[in-house]
Amino acid sequence: MTVFSLIIINKAGGLIYNKTFHDGGLNKISTNDYLVLAGTFHGVHAITARLNPVKPVAQPPAPGTNDPPGRPEPSSGLEVLETENFRMQCFNTLTGTKFLLFTETTQTNVDVTIKKIYDLYADYVMKNPFYSLEMPVRCDIFDRKLLSYIREINNR
Amino acid sequence: MVVYSFYIFDRHTECVYVKSWMAAEGPGAAPVLSASSDDAKLVFGTVFSLRNMVRKLGGDDDAFISYRTGQYKLHFYETPANLRFVMLTDTGSASMRNVLHQIYINLWVEYVVKNPLAPVEHKGGAGVNNELFELGLDQFIRGMM
Repeated sequence: MTVFSLIIINKAGGLIYNKTFHDGGLNKISTNDYLVLAGTFHGVHAITARLNPVKPVAQPPAPGTNDPPGRPEPSSGLEVLETENFRMQCFNTLTGTKFLLFTETTQTNVDVTIKKIYDLYADYVMKNPFYSLEMPVRCDIFDRKLLSYIREINNR
Repeated sequence: MVVYSFYIFDRHTECVYVKSWMAAEGPGAAPVLSASSDDAKLVFGTVFSLRNMVRKLGGDDDAFISYRTGQYKLHFYETPANLRFVMLTDTGSASMRNVLHQIYINLWVEYVVKNPLAPVEHKGGAGVNNELFELGLDQFIRGMM
């Protein structure tokens, strides 16, 4: 059970956080390459949502009311990517921030992990009065909490 | 299991074969092809970008296998000659990598490569859409569904 790294992409496709937890899982690439990767993924994510072959169905109205059917659920973009060497899970928040978690191919319960990381982000980044929105995350306490949480998973 | 569509791209990044099984869908949602040939370009752009991203992170020997969204799953297989096979299925299906490999060795090699009348380069899909390949593919996919 190993979590390799975490990337957070803001709603404009910019890289705002990037942390490697385990050496040797993924190739080391430069910060510039990470920025390119974040931008590329942002675009690919939008395309994968458009490629949806299943026609969205309108939400049925709540029983007992005369409301018209609700708007169909928007199609989600890429959620899980599988390769020979790793697995990547993407969590897209309602505001468009993307959390990418790179793990081993056999990792389980990644959605629980990623939700917990989102909790930590909400608690220690969004509630930090000195953090400016959409800018790179530099919060010591977030780093510390995240590291101890991931260490706990990697040592399990 | 539901297969939505299937694409083959040659080494010149051209789409040489498309097939869609949208009519054969389960109850509930009624899938239709959202756009015509633009979809093939979008599919190629996606798999190309993801493959490069995966190679950068996972090393040159790493291969992109599949991705899943809330609505569908895309499977990818690339031969050593850069021929790329892509299949879109429902989210519940298991890895289709071996299926794509089977299509390559049992259908592509048998009916397209070994066909003396097929050109070496399949410009505009020439030589790919022959009867045997078409029939074999349709039977193979319908057998799985």
